[in-house]
Order: sequence, then C-alpha cells, then structure tokens
Amino acid sequence: MASLTVRKNIESLTPAELQVLRDAYLRLQSIWDNRGYNYFAGLHGIPNWYCNHHDRSIRTLQNLRLFLPWHRAYLLYFEKALRDQAGPDPKIGLPWWDWTSATSHTIGVPAALAEPAVDGRFNPLSRAAIYAPAANPPIWRWTRRFPGDPRWLPSAALVNSLLDLSQFRDFSIQLEDIHDYVHGWAGGNNGSVGGDMGNLGTAAWDPLFWSHHCTIDRIWYMWQLRQGVNNISPELLPVVLQPFSLTVEDVLNVNALGYEYAISKVAIR
Amino acid sequence: MYAQGKVFQSTTPLPVSTVPEQFVRADLEFIDVDHAGPSFEARVFVNNPNANMNTPPTEAYGFAGCFNVFGHGGCFGDPGHCDVHEKREDSFDPRLSHPLIPMKKVVIATAAIRKAVNQRTDIHVTVVPIIKSWTEKSEADDILRFDHINLITYR
Repeated sequence: MASLTVRKNIESLTPAELQVLRDAYLRLQSIWDNRGYNYFAGLHGIPNWYCNHHDRSIRTLQNLRLFLPWHRAYLLYFEKALRDQAGPDPKIGLPWWDWTSATSHTIGVPAALAEPAVDGRFNPLSRAAIYAPAANPPIWRWTRRFPGDPRWLPSAALVNSLLDLSQFRDFSIQLEDIHDYVHGWAGGNNGSVGGDMGNLGTAAWDPLFWSHHCTIDRIWYMWQLRQGVNNISPELLPVVLQPFSLTVEDVLNVNALGYEYAISKVAIR
Repeated sequence: MYAQGKVFQSTTPLPVSTVPEQFVRADLEFIDVDHAGPSFEARVFVNNPNANMNTPPTEAYGFAGCFNVFGHGGCFGDPGHCDVHEKREDSFDPRLSHPLIPMKKVVIATAAIRKAVNQRTDIHVTVVPIIKSWTEKSEADDILRFDHINLITYR
C-alpha cells in the first residue's frame, strides 16, 4: 500500500525538494492536453467554470456550501497530475503557503513562489502561460501578479479564531472570506490592470493559487481535527463534486485521500 | 494602488431599542451580494457616516469588520453567459444553480454592535468598498451591490 503524501510548508522545503517541485511544474506546464497545467487551470474559471464558491443549489432551492469540499477534490486531482510528472522518489506533495507566517508578513509571497528565475532558469512557480482560446476575447499571455502590502496579510490569530467555530457552515463562510481577501491581496493591480489571482476566471493559472488553496485546505483539516472530521451538513454528503468522481463524503478524511499535513514525526520509545 | 468604490450608507438607522441587550455574538449579514465584477474588500463601519478608505479600521472609528469579494471579473463568455436565472422551475434539472447567483456575506460585528447598544445609539451602517483587482470586462466604480443587511444576535 502506498504511503501518505506529506504536504509541506513551502518555506520548509529543502533546495532539492524545491527543484523536484519546479521540474514537475515545468513539465506539467509544457503539456497542453488534459494531463497538463492549462487543462486543470481551466477547470476552475475560464472556460469551464466548475468551481464552487459561496452557496449553490441543486434541484431545490436548498443551499449547498461546497467551497471547501470542491477545492479539496480539485487540489487532489491537480496533485496527482503533478506527481505524474515527477519521479517516484522523492515524492512530492503540494506545498502550502502560510500567509500568516512572519516571513510572509515581511516579504509577502515567499521567494520560492516569487522569484522569476532560479539559477538562471525559469521558475515555473512564479508564473504560467494562460491559453484560453474559447474565452471572449481569447486569452494567450503570461499570468500577472501585483501583491499588496505584506503587513496586511491575515494573521495567525484570525485563523485560530476560526478554529473555535463549531458549525461547518459558519466556519466555511468565515474561511472563504479570508480566502477571498488573499485572492484580492495577491492579485492586486498596477493601476491599469489587475492581477490574475484577483479574478476568478484566470486565478488558477497563477501557480500561487495552488499553494494558497493548499493552506485553505489545511485550515479546514485543522478545524476538522478540533471539531470533527464528519462535522458537515448531512445533505452535502452525496453531492458529486463535478467534474471529479468524488462526493463530499469521499473528501472528508484527508488520510483516505492519501495525504496529510504533518509537520514533523518524532518517534518516542 | 487600491481605489475606493461608491460607498453605501444605510438610509434608515436601525432603532437600538429593537436590538436585544444581551447577546454573545452579533452578525451583520449582507444578503444577495453581487460578485460578478472586480475583487474588493468591503469595510463596514457602525455610526461613522464619514468613513472612507483612509479611515483607520479600528473600533474607535466604528469599524465593525469587513467582508471580501473574490470577483468573477466580468463576462468572458459569449452573450448571455453571465445572465443569472435565479429560480429553477424544472425539478428534474440536475445542474447546480448559476455560479453568479448573488451570495451572502457575514461580518461578525459583536464589539461594534455592543458599543452601540451600550451607548443607546441607533445603528447606522456605512460600507466602504476598496477595489483590489479587476479585468477589462469588469466595472470600476459602482461595484458594491446587495439587497439588504440583517442584524443577527446570538445568546
């Protein structure tokens, strides 16, 4: 049986781990069919619009809050595609960007995700090409990013306050709002044009998107540890998270999906 | 780099006498918030009608909290793509509702509401939108649109 993939803080990755990650992203960004980066980015907004934010409804007017489960499935499929492009060893998982960290509150986006080049080579974690010929008008350009003042990133205290909310719906609404804030912060603008992270249609092309959402997923995981893995509205459980072959119930336990967020493991004898 | 959009002012103050004196949490629920355009932060102030994007977001200035909108960025589809059909009449239709159906945002505003209740002042809400990011397809000014605000208190 395969071992669990450990998703790590990008600030804690070794140079060798970062190189494996960059190589895998570069390969993924070079594939233009349905195994590649462009395909997965296009599932979120332009041109397929599968993403779930805020309340949706199905058949009845009953509200369904699928933001967290849908993005968990999305990250999982993306991570699998990314791992397909990496060697079997070392294993890589999606890294998470802790926008509450002291480093982020000083420099903003971590260097690993911001530097345009590393050792003279293109850094595929800093930007990606958007190819969306079905958009109106068609889009064919590099992603743009104009992050805000690092001091205004969300604090750890704010995130910790959410972990005390006992109802899934309440927690999800508040966490999604922080998520919305970081999208606007990271996208920003240069006075004449906005950054892609700040626009739902193109956000998933920015490589920062995946590490931002990995943090959102991790916060949900930490909330689940405190408030219960199955703490969710029962009517959500059978809902299929299109276009993925997973239901909400399928994505509640991250270990059952093959990954974890442990930051250390120390044997005590 | 950030720009201020058109500010919302509540036209009729909520009489403080209608708010329970005892509560552990007070929420301002913004109902049917539009999210088709730019991404923005909406700073919510209680009893500070002069608030703007430069007003310090602190309790002393009536800051109650904020909500944030991750905007759709305008329509990049063909004509009609972003037209919202709010009510589905066909109960056999398995599709999810339109992604652009207006949303609810909840600002936990306990301290600001408690201050108003303690001071026995009626509640006037000002919302200052601060535009973060946009596309060539999204509007630039009149971006803050919602139906109404609910004040919810919990014991």
